[in-house]
Amino acid sequence: MNQVRINDGVVNPQMDAGQMAGYRALIERLPITMRPTLNQQLAGWESLFPFERNQLTNFLNGLASFQPSALSALTQPLKSLETKMGVEHWNFSQSGDTMENASMLARSEYYAEWRQQVQILFERVNAEARDTTAAPAKQTRLILVVLPATLPVEPMEAWQPWDRRAQVLKIEGDSRKISELLLQGNSNQPSIATVLARQQVRENFDLWLIDADEEMNRYQSAAAQQTASSLSYAMLKPFRDKFLAEVNTVPKNIEATDQTFAALRQRDWEPWLPTEFAAEPQLRNFLVNLFLSGNGALIFSNAFVEWATAEALRRARPRVIVARFGLRSKPKLFTSIAIFENQQRVNMLPDVDDPEGSAIDTLILARYIWLAASRYPEQEQTCCLCISEHLNSAYMIVPDSIALPGDPAHAVTPEELAAWVSAYLAA
Amino acid sequence: MDETRRNLLKAASALLVNQWAAARLGAFTGESSTEAGRKIVIVTCGGIRREDTFSETGIHNISHLYRDLLPQSSFYPFVSNAGVTSHYNTISSILTGNWQRVDDWGKTRPQSPTLSEYLRKQMGLRQDQTWVISSNKALTSKIGASSVRDFGPAYGANVIFPKQLLINAVVHAAAEGRAVHSTDRSTMQPEIESMLNRDNYDGLGWSVSGADSSLNPIMLGTMQQAIENLVRTNAPVTGDEFTYLVATEVMRRFAPSLLTITFSDMEVAHFGSYSLHMAGIRTVDRLVYELWNQLQSLPAYKDKTTLFVLPEFGRDLDGSNTNGFFNHRQNTASTRVTWMMCLGDAVRKAQILENPIEQTDVCPTVARLFALKNLDLPGKPIPGLLL
Repeated sequence: MNQVRINDGVVNPQMDAGQMAGYRALIERLPITMRPTLNQQLAGWESLFPFERNQLTNFLNGLASFQPSALSALTQPLKSLETKMGVEHWNFSQSGDTMENASMLARSEYYAEWRQQVQILFERVNAEARDTTAAPAKQTRLILVVLPATLPVEPMEAWQPWDRRAQVLKIEGDSRKISELLLQGNSNQPSIATVLARQQVRENFDLWLIDADEEMNRYQSAAAQQTASSLSYAMLKPFRDKFLAEVNTVPKNIEATDQTFAALRQRDWEPWLPTEFAAEPQLRNFLVNLFLSGNGALIFSNAFVEWATAEALRRARPRVIVARFGLRSKPKLFTSIAIFENQQRVNMLPDVDDPEGSAIDTLILARYIWLAASRYPEQEQTCCLCISEHLNSAYMIVPDSIALPGDPAHAVTPEELAAWVSAYLAA
Repeated sequence: MDETRRNLLKAASALLVNQWAAARLGAFTGESSTEAGRKIVIVTCGGIRREDTFSETGIHNISHLYRDLLPQSSFYPFVSNAGVTSHYNTISSILTGNWQRVDDWGKTRPQSPTLSEYLRKQMGLRQDQTWVISSNKALTSKIGASSVRDFGPAYGANVIFPKQLLINAVVHAAAEGRAVHSTDRSTMQPEIESMLNRDNYDGLGWSVSGADSSLNPIMLGTMQQAIENLVRTNAPVTGDEFTYLVATEVMRRFAPSLLTITFSDMEVAHFGSYSLHMAGIRTVDRLVYELWNQLQSLPAYKDKTTLFVLPEFGRDLDGSNTNGFFNHRQNTASTRVTWMMCLGDAVRKAQILENPIEQTDVCPTVARLFALKNLDLPGKPIPGLLL
């Protein structure tokens, strides 16, 4: 069969009908429970990120490299398990992942065994995959987490360690300047977007800016505005409000929920989205799926920042991701019992900030961002820098072979830290 | 919570229970025995990790459970949920003693008889003797009785979702584009009034089979007034607080032999606020302590009640691909292994029993306490209790 052409590490964004049909025929040879995810990804090819396209084609090409008898032998244990589970009698969608699919699998007494078998199969196929791409150079990566001054977080030394390598650096000067220097740049300090541009980064999805508020939008460089994938919880308000209202029409019924969710995926959301999303089908798809996957992304800005960052890391593997947390409001009457509602709409009394609660939330959510990144091999080249503007300090994890920008016993200036980050990314 | 607001909640609770009693008046006539003698109260409380409760890092969240109740309890630090770690399946597994694998959102009844059915069928108890009072939106009234032919709703428990009454009012108001404003006396009242007039008991979260669904106009008016006052207060009202107050009202009015209460404030974790999740745990800690004290103060319960308190499951590990504490889907000890505390009548002595037990062992234990016979249950009675 024809395989999708991969040039220099970048999968061709186009897939012709013949290639698509070939891959679909291949998926048909797999056990039933493996088909929905793969079919869904193929159907949504246009909205996949480059990393996902690469991953999918590698897997399918690896699958194609098996002789029919070998593939049959490989898939037999899972097919036998599906027979025991009674999958053929289920109302199991093969065209895409549904809540009903997930629910039926999770309710099976063979669920743990099923997960194990799927994992084995994926690992075997990936191991066999003939990787047609040149191995990409191991590029340096950055996760920058900003805890703004409004969050009264506890001293970083008191935090549960994120990583054995983590160190705390005291900032001498105004720590708020660090993210400004890195995002905006100045005559002495190139912005992150400029550093990436100098390295001829071709895809927009290598730089993500995820913000609880609209702060990062304020001091983005021109280069970042052109290339960054920017998601601001505050700026998405019209879209979020509309989306939440639609989600809240879902009845307490799994089948009906799947139907509603499918309709929400197909809907034209452009009237409610910022204009820059018009040319970004991948980002639109990312947002819709993010909000449909729950995890508080529609409700709390900080949950949005954490979950969007974790999903961007999983789906796009960007070189740089900047996550900026913020304050959430105290739950009002009713929203503490019906928290899925839009409390600004339900209760017109003004919002009241909850700085202490927000600080507790963000400490664990910031750590979750690093833990999410740690699941992927790219973390070996990743520097994680978490700035607490309230404490004027930085919590830093750097690869083993890299020296910290300063001695933990001595303070560093915002300029020194920003320069170090730029040099690290440029290396 | 301030006394004024709690009094309003109490008033609303009393009205709900009065309404139930009015609707069922006459339905009890002809039913045989009144009560079983012993009383059992089972409290399940959502997904709570051991590390956030009975561990060095967690005991500050459960000061009442740890300081006031642990020293008089039989405590089981290793209780396993080997079933589906969703709310409906877990609670119905505890109540049936069999791991249930039914629709997560309560579309179908449990596939094995519940404790209520065993109890009412063997002991001939009236319907007002077994109750499930729940905060959890994932449950439905179908949890009250199984689909087993020889048992079923005729022997089922009363199921109430007090919180749903308030949620319905809020959601309906939002859907209609109206909002709650503390200075506007007329905003919420029409929503509640409309809801009470429009819905039958199911709309209020009641499980009443075959009863007339019309509301007594006097009761309706009183209920509207009390709830209107309640919803106009401008401070967070927790659903679990309301559930607790309805439960205590039910205890005062009916003294049921078997009462199951499910709390769920801590499920705000699904939305990613760890601080609110912790607040939910602390609320449950306080409410369980108040419940225990209430049981000691009510003559119908004092010295003849055994209280079981257990989380439904834990929560996922930090760093898991299921987003850690947000969810409870992982097949790990963090999600599957939790704890249980037993207090009261059946407790032989205060002790910690470290041998692992399963949540489905609760059902045969309660069955033994009620001296129920010939039950075919896979679990075994829990050690350390006077059975």
